[in-house]
Amino acid sequence: MALYEGIALIQEKQAVVLDLGTDYTKFGFTGEAAPRCIVRSEFWCPAERRYKRLHDYSSPQELYDNIVHMLHLLYFRHVLVNPKERRVVVVESLLTPTLFRETLAKVLFIHYEVSGALWVDSGRASALTLAAPVVLVVSIGARDAEVTAVVHGCPVLRALQSQPLGARAVSAELARLLDEDNGRALNLPDDVLDDIKVRACFVPGREAALQWAARGVPAEVREARRGADAVVSRRARALSAEPLFARDEELASLPDMVLQCIAQCPIDARRALAASVLVTGGGAALPGLRARLAQELRHLAKLPPYKERLQELQFKFHSAPAHENSVAWVGGALCGAACGTGAGPGSGSGAGGGAGAEGRGVSREAYVRTRRLRDWPCLLHNTPHKHPHWDML
Amino acid sequence: MAYLTQPDYVKYACSCGQIKPITSLYFCRHCLQIRCGFCICHEVDSHYCANCLENMPSSEARLKKNRCSSCFDCPSCFHTLSTRATLAQPRQTPEQGSGDSKVENKQAKKMYYLSCFNCRWTSRDVGIPDQPVASGGWPERVNPNATRINQLLDYYKAIAQQEKQEKLDRERKKFAIRGKYITLTDKTGLTGAMARNIAGLPSSESTMSAIANFVPSEASADVEELSEDFYTKELNLNQMTSMPQRLAAPEWQPSSVSRLYPIAKLLSVKRSQRCRACDHNLTKPEYNPGSIKFKIELLAFYHVPEVKIISYEPIKPGCTSALLLKLTNPTGHEMQVRLLQPEEVPDTEDRLEEPKSLEKSLEKSLNLEKDNLWYETVQRKADVTATCRVVTPDVTLTLAQRDDAAEYDDDATHDANDIILWRKSNKLALRLQVSCGAEVGAASAAEAALALQYRYRNTVPAAHEPRDHTLHATLLLQLGHVSG
Amino acid sequence: MTHYRYSIKILPGATVCEDCTLEGDITIGGGTVIHPRVTIIAEGGPIIIAEYCIIEEYSTIIHKKNEQPENPPKPLFIGAHNVFEVGCRLESLCGHIGESNVFECKSFVGTDVKIGSGCVIGAACSLTTPQTLPDNTVIWGSEHNNREALEKQPSQLLQLDFLGKVMPNYHRLRKSNVHKRQMSRQSQEPAKS
Repeated sequence: MALYEGIALIQEKQAVVLDLGTDYTKFGFTGEAAPRCIVRSEFWCPAERRYKRLHDYSSPQELYDNIVHMLHLLYFRHVLVNPKERRVVVVESLLTPTLFRETLAKVLFIHYEVSGALWVDSGRASALTLAAPVVLVVSIGARDAEVTAVVHGCPVLRALQSQPLGARAVSAELARLLDEDNGRALNLPDDVLDDIKVRACFVPGREAALQWAARGVPAEVREARRGADAVVSRRARALSAEPLFARDEELASLPDMVLQCIAQCPIDARRALAASVLVTGGGAALPGLRARLAQELRHLAKLPPYKERLQELQFKFHSAPAHENSVAWVGGALCGAACGTGAGPGSGSGAGGGAGAEGRGVSREAYVRTRRLRDWPCLLHNTPHKHPHWDML
Repeated sequence: MAYLTQPDYVKYACSCGQIKPITSLYFCRHCLQIRCGFCICHEVDSHYCANCLENMPSSEARLKKNRCSSCFDCPSCFHTLSTRATLAQPRQTPEQGSGDSKVENKQAKKMYYLSCFNCRWTSRDVGIPDQPVASGGWPERVNPNATRINQLLDYYKAIAQQEKQEKLDRERKKFAIRGKYITLTDKTGLTGAMARNIAGLPSSESTMSAIANFVPSEASADVEELSEDFYTKELNLNQMTSMPQRLAAPEWQPSSVSRLYPIAKLLSVKRSQRCRACDHNLTKPEYNPGSIKFKIELLAFYHVPEVKIISYEPIKPGCTSALLLKLTNPTGHEMQVRLLQPEEVPDTEDRLEEPKSLEKSLEKSLNLEKDNLWYETVQRKADVTATCRVVTPDVTLTLAQRDDAAEYDDDATHDANDIILWRKSNKLALRLQVSCGAEVGAASAAEAALALQYRYRNTVPAAHEPRDHTLHATLLLQLGHVSG
Repeated sequence: MTHYRYSIKILPGATVCEDCTLEGDITIGGGTVIHPRVTIIAEGGPIIIAEYCIIEEYSTIIHKKNEQPENPPKPLFIGAHNVFEVGCRLESLCGHIGESNVFECKSFVGTDVKIGSGCVIGAACSLTTPQTLPDNTVIWGSEHNNREALEKQPSQLLQLDFLGKVMPNYHRLRKSNVHKRQMSRQSQEPAKS
């Protein structure tokens, strides 16, 4: 650690790594083992005299303002560096809305005048922390759960899965169970629900969950707070994460997503993917969630429609060298430190095969010239550079 | 008019289109424009600890991860911890037996521990031994994942190095420029290694070994099951940390209260602020952390006439009501003020057309590319659509300069007039009419927009004579609600 | 209530200012300091305050009347080394308050709260819902955060000492009317009459 800090002092200034999550924002320096701060993605809005969430916006202009305020808070309250002097590594989901990406780029390059930025997708970033060639990243965020297969440093876009099975789904179920327990609508605010979830909830094993779903468990915990005196039963504690595992007609539960992702991947990667699962995201920090997911996967793989294709798979799980909520951030920090953020090295061909950033770093000059970011769904960026389309810009 | 706890009743439009109270606006004396925190450039000036008011050079701050070495925050409630002293008798071990006389011989030692006055957390709660010195010396913790992250870093850097090397080799082959010296070094590899040594780069050997010795993460089939305690034991909420407590230490994120350790206090920064258009400083704080003064302080409050609402009649749809305003001239020069409708304010471009000196235009053209970029992208037109209209009389009002001595004679001169209510040194009270449209619904917010045209004497370029400018400020008055 | 007026027992060593409202059957232990403007009302039964408590200005302690009055009324016993800071309010039906508790400024403790020992009720915290605070509970902040302290709050002996010396210089004090145990029988006679 000390060695790297020493080097960092001589070398060019460490870049900053930014992960703007739905609920929590992670921010810190490249090459470090943990973000400097994990704060709620909200800021004090003096005009409206309330805390405003980063992702609450109705117009591009409002989003621009939100990002400006949020970054101001991060740069000058938490990390205390001049934005101009630092390059930025942005860790984001592959499914980030285009408007958000473009606005973030605009804020970074035009408003804060950063000299360069590198966009890293969270799936690959998480895989970087393992350095394993093939990783199946199950990321349970605040809103969505995403399953990305990263094969030799390349996410398999075709097999990308996303469902609204994040921490919000758990909160909603917890609120419902609490209302049932207390026999009235409690209307608990989000932070109280979060607190109950963090301090009391857990995910029981498969058998226990099935049993408990049928009949409650008597032991109770009491939460006495101002304005919210709620009894939290063990049933609510144990069963609040069940929506993640509830199967319906559309097979949209968390284990189903994982299996579908594997099934949609190339046949020769499937075995390796199943043997290399990484569960990340703040939602994955619930005690027992990984164990339950493993049980469910092993159980479901024997059932149709997966029976024929996935029955033989052995599921194995990684543990990342970071806390669940900052795995993707740590990946971004590694990536930023290893390849610099201006022009990165070519895609990794080595055993790790992850360090590749494919020169995705954008410098300020380049951005000001073109005013656009590379994006995978954009047809233009998937056409070769000599294609006449490029001339028509 | 701006308050800490009340809404802002009078807001000014910044040149970038934001609408803010005058206390959060700046005034650039070089561009003669109102600026705000949104459209200026913030820069970190100096780091300091807000608790001990100790300055820290930025290189040291970087080394210490922006944390103070002597102040701590409570990990439980985030209040600042205080150091408390106790007199500790040297501990008696059972082997010493009945050594009462020995204990008396030894002097009671002063020991220090940390304690929170808010939630009464102490460093003893988590078993941190008391310290013999008052400040510092608290055990530092290392992130358990640090070694692994460093391995990964080594590995990826080695790969990046290797790739760069391969790329160079490829290029070389492509162009097939093979001087004999290069072949020589290539063949023996001797000079290459020496050059690396001299340059202080890691030798290619070590790159290779970093890659070869690296062990990727191993997945395991068995996942740690949920401990039985969750099924059988009663939960003790007091033993579990809350989310803010966990996130206060991102490197450890303890889940149990017994793992909460004091958090070294995060430093604060002093910021200097710079106008984006002309790169001049708008504010620059003094270096001393204890001082709240500024070296440069171009606040709108000191340059733009301030408007306060004295009182107003309830606003009724389709009626006119009286509105009493107070105008203050904060500058040291006499000021002529005219009231205008916001539509009558010329656009920014027109205002820039004022005759300017050669240097200034040169300076402008140099900065053109830069400032345009931001303003093109971000500048908006201030939204000052209001439900009510202030009936603006066509008179020019003269406001005397600010005179600190005049504070003491308090006889207001009543050069009564149907507009001017009274006049007192640099202040002026106005009686105006507000007309509200008949179509405005009851209980909607009553807002009136007003523009000021004022003569401003620029004292900044000392070489030039003080020059007068005609400037404009648009402001929005909150007049309660429209009554039915 | 008038018949209780004279049943205030102040043990020797207690410092009780004259300028405070004491109503009902109240016993104040030795070493306890009661600041001026304190209100202690024993309407539901006697209040017994043990040794070495500090009751600061504008604090209120009320022993509330129970709906079904018991006969004889149970006392409200307040243990030793409790600190009632400025403006706090304690309402209790009957019961027992442990030792070494701190009721911080402007705190409020309602009738159905049972308090153990070594607890801290933070400034401006109001406990209204029925609950039992186990020993060494600390409550603080507007969110009423809870935690469990490792040990009891240290007693304020130095402060007591200081107050005991300073108070007589600036305030009129009530005389202790109960003397040493042997003499208590004789002294209680005039007090009761």
